[in-house]
Amino acid sequence: MAYLENRFVISQLTRRELKRKYARSRLGIVWSVLAPLLSMVILSLIFSQLFKRSIENYPIYYLSGYLIWQALTGATTSAMTALVDNRALLLKIKFPMEIFLVTRVYTAFINLLYSLVAYALMLLVFRIPLSFALLAAPLLFLFVFVFSLGLSYMLATAYVFFGDVKHLYSVFLTLWMYVSAIFYPAEQLSGFIYEVIRVNPVYQYIHALRTLVLGASLPGASAWLYMLAWSLAAYRGGRALFNRYRARIMQKL
Amino acid sequence: METITLRNVTMQFRRATQESGSLKEWLVQTLQGRKRYELFTALDQVSFSAQRGEVIGIIGANGAGKSTLLKIIAGALRPTAGTVCVNFAKVQLLTLGTGFDMELTGRENVYLNGALIGYSRAFLDANYESIVRFAELEGFMDEKVRSYSSGMVSRLAFAIATAAADAAPSPAAPAPEVLILDEVLSVGDLFFRKKSEARIMAMMHSGCTVLIVSHSPGVIQNNCSRALFLDHGSLMADGDPKTVCAAYEASRKEGRV
Repeated sequence: MAYLENRFVISQLTRRELKRKYARSRLGIVWSVLAPLLSMVILSLIFSQLFKRSIENYPIYYLSGYLIWQALTGATTSAMTALVDNRALLLKIKFPMEIFLVTRVYTAFINLLYSLVAYALMLLVFRIPLSFALLAAPLLFLFVFVFSLGLSYMLATAYVFFGDVKHLYSVFLTLWMYVSAIFYPAEQLSGFIYEVIRVNPVYQYIHALRTLVLGASLPGASAWLYMLAWSLAAYRGGRALFNRYRARIMQKL
Repeated sequence: METITLRNVTMQFRRATQESGSLKEWLVQTLQGRKRYELFTALDQVSFSAQRGEVIGIIGANGAGKSTLLKIIAGALRPTAGTVCVNFAKVQLLTLGTGFDMELTGRENVYLNGALIGYSRAFLDANYESIVRFAELEGFMDEKVRSYSSGMVSRLAFAIATAAADAAPSPAAPAPEVLILDEVLSVGDLFFRKKSEARIMAMMHSGCTVLIVSHSPGVIQNNCSRALFLDHGSLMADGDPKTVCAAYEASRKEGRV
């Protein structure tokens, strides 16, 4: 699909999603930054009391994981139902139906940008020195974006045919969260479970962000290649599945 | 010059006799070999062609295949069998209020709805004022559509949908070869209706093929040069609007007895 060609309609749909979220609140768009900031403050208060001996700057360690995890799950769970939610619209317009799915993923990443403002404030509060390594962060987020998009294509295709996928996925997400080492140090583990965590691409994304922020250094070339491979594989796989069922999705809807 | 040519177009949907909406049911049905499909024929061997400048009304009861036919002409669906010759890039489908969002303001809806219809940002920027003027909504554009009356909503929807008629053809909104009006006529009060019919007339006379879908034989007889009557997926009649509408009325009466 030509993403650039449809960028105007995607940007308009994204504006709608963002506006709707806080449509009835007085502070409106301010909540986009305030909500992640408040939850980050609470989480750091709670988690700074836990694990504090084994990990330096534990709140930031945790928040780095939280940031990527939120973007990924926010994108995929909302994009999963995008086609079904927009069924009525979909049959009336000439655009490829992917635009709704892409819009949801895009919206989640715009929200990530707002969360990054809150994250930056937390970095200041915890006096994390800023380094040039942070310049690599946009590339990392791009990888996560492509990975989420690929996963969304798969989930949205499956969801059109089986509503259960939604519930299965939320159970799977719980499992996935635990093997992504978001709130505990992965290095403490060993054996099989450690291998699972290391293979898990989400852990690799999170680990890379921690390396950039807390380690002030760049992940190695093999780590970048590994992450790139997962992103591309997810995207290619998602697109292939979606294209294969495209006609049947249209009929089913 | 022919703008639409359909030859023996058939559209079939595969429908599971037992809809398996859940994974469990699907597994059970597949394992037991109980998965059966029935074919539902939405369009059956439909053939017709249309010339430039023709205004064709499509009439038929709900479920007769009107919207399937439109989707095929617009390129949204590919038929199971038969051939379709249409330049999909030059088809414009007008529907009212596609994607209107009650929580957004009038201005935001012009851009959202306009984007969904297929206008570019440049086109909307250039024509925003004339859209508002046509809809007679000056001073209301920064209010949420939720607070509009239903007449105001349909006026705005109509003004956006037909904005291209007023503007000179440009690369941003090229003149369409085929224009599809899906229940677009007859909105608003009497005064606005006259204004909107005049605008539709102007679009019709710009030389493209116009397809009008309506439940109302009156609309078809007043506006069209030719009519098609669809029933259960088959093309029952094709010709002079008066005769075709009479056939439609007759079959409706029969159905009621």
